[in-house]
Amino acid sequence: MVRLKSRYLLCEVCVSDRSNLLLLDDRAIYTAAKAAVARAHGDYGAALSSLGFSVKYLNAHTGIVFLRCRKSHYRLIWSALPFITSLENRGQRVPCFLNCLHVGGTIRTCQKFLVRYNTQQLHRMLPLCQSEGMRWSQIYFLLLFCTLLLFHCLS
Amino acid sequence: MAVFMDLNITYTTDKKRLRSVIETAAHLGYSTVAINYVVDLQQKKQEIGKPKCVSELFDTFPIVQGKSRPIKVLNRLTVVASRAAHFKPLREYKAYDLVAAYPKTETLFHAACMEFTIDIICVAATEKQPFFFKRSSVEGAIERGVFFEVSYTPAIRDSTMRRHTIANALNLMEACKGKNVIVTSGAGKPLELRGPYDIANLGLLFGLSEEEGKAAISTNCRAVHLHGEMRKTALGIVHSMKNEQPLTERQEEEDVPASKRAKIEMAQ
Repeated sequence: MVRLKSRYLLCEVCVSDRSNLLLLDDRAIYTAAKAAVARAHGDYGAALSSLGFSVKYLNAHTGIVFLRCRKSHYRLIWSALPFITSLENRGQRVPCFLNCLHVGGTIRTCQKFLVRYNTQQLHRMLPLCQSEGMRWSQIYFLLLFCTLLLFHCLS
Repeated sequence: MAVFMDLNITYTTDKKRLRSVIETAAHLGYSTVAINYVVDLQQKKQEIGKPKCVSELFDTFPIVQGKSRPIKVLNRLTVVASRAAHFKPLREYKAYDLVAAYPKTETLFHAACMEFTIDIICVAATEKQPFFFKRSSVEGAIERGVFFEVSYTPAIRDSTMRRHTIANALNLMEACKGKNVIVTSGAGKPLELRGPYDIANLGLLFGLSEEEGKAAISTNCRAVHLHGEMRKTALGIVHSMKNEQPLTERQEEEDVPASKRAKIEMAQ
């Protein structure tokens, strides 16, 4: 039996100004990634990215993206991602870069990694929170995000 | 998780920008960074000054993503060399943790590989290399423990520079077969940095294999750091530490052999 194997690239969109993050949507990242691959690898890259490449999930609050590519070509597409310098959405340019955190074969493995990553982030950021209220809001926020992701993937 | 290092962050007099670059590097997972002071001795009135003290920048260094240690910041000097005479002053080099050279001609490249006391040789990223790499000089450098550096930020900024970077990098790979290469950013802004796994993958574009790409940002960088330390402390023999006598070669040749001396010290 032929099983279509894919690779999920778990990336984080890093912006200098957090409020700009909320403007992003998955179509912007899709077009930016396709354009970057086409620029870096030409017509071959453009053809590859039209095959099985999609943005599976985007969280505008934390900037986490899931990109899905075919297992045979994911390296090529991945090698073009560092060349993305900005994302465009409805005429507005947001300068940013994509930082790839993890490559997994299924969404479930990526999610396991993401939960661990978020707990690490929490440990890093909690000492920096100035007030008790901010701390609780951070924890609540991350918990909410994890459960949302689970629902989305299981549906 | 290996230790990732980024050994080239351009020095700017703007403290805030430098701080944000280092914070972004810590967020991305780099355990060590080096601030690069570029000196072009051909321009008049440029002297190799002392590097700024690292503790001026931060009170507490930002903690590296994924580890519990704060980020380590080193100082690095890059000398843009157009004449061999530029490498005379050795006293000022001691203040820097790493020393790099950017040779502009073939003879200088050969001399830098064989003779100069440096740690890193930079490969041009913004222009097409005017000379080819000779395998004899490159192999001599590898034997001595000098590393070749490819910088990726010009590739991100502009398309023609991207071509030059990739062309020069591929040229280098043919000569050195992937050994002794490090990949660094030349980041001046926090948005010009990229994560370590992305860079290991960029190594594929530069002609490195998957293993070599990962080594280029972790083990090779660590080797450069150690090479720099050895250069500072005269091959690791001279160390200055608090409340301990520095061991020099002369002292070791004295009557009391080292094992006996240790026993005497313990007995006291």
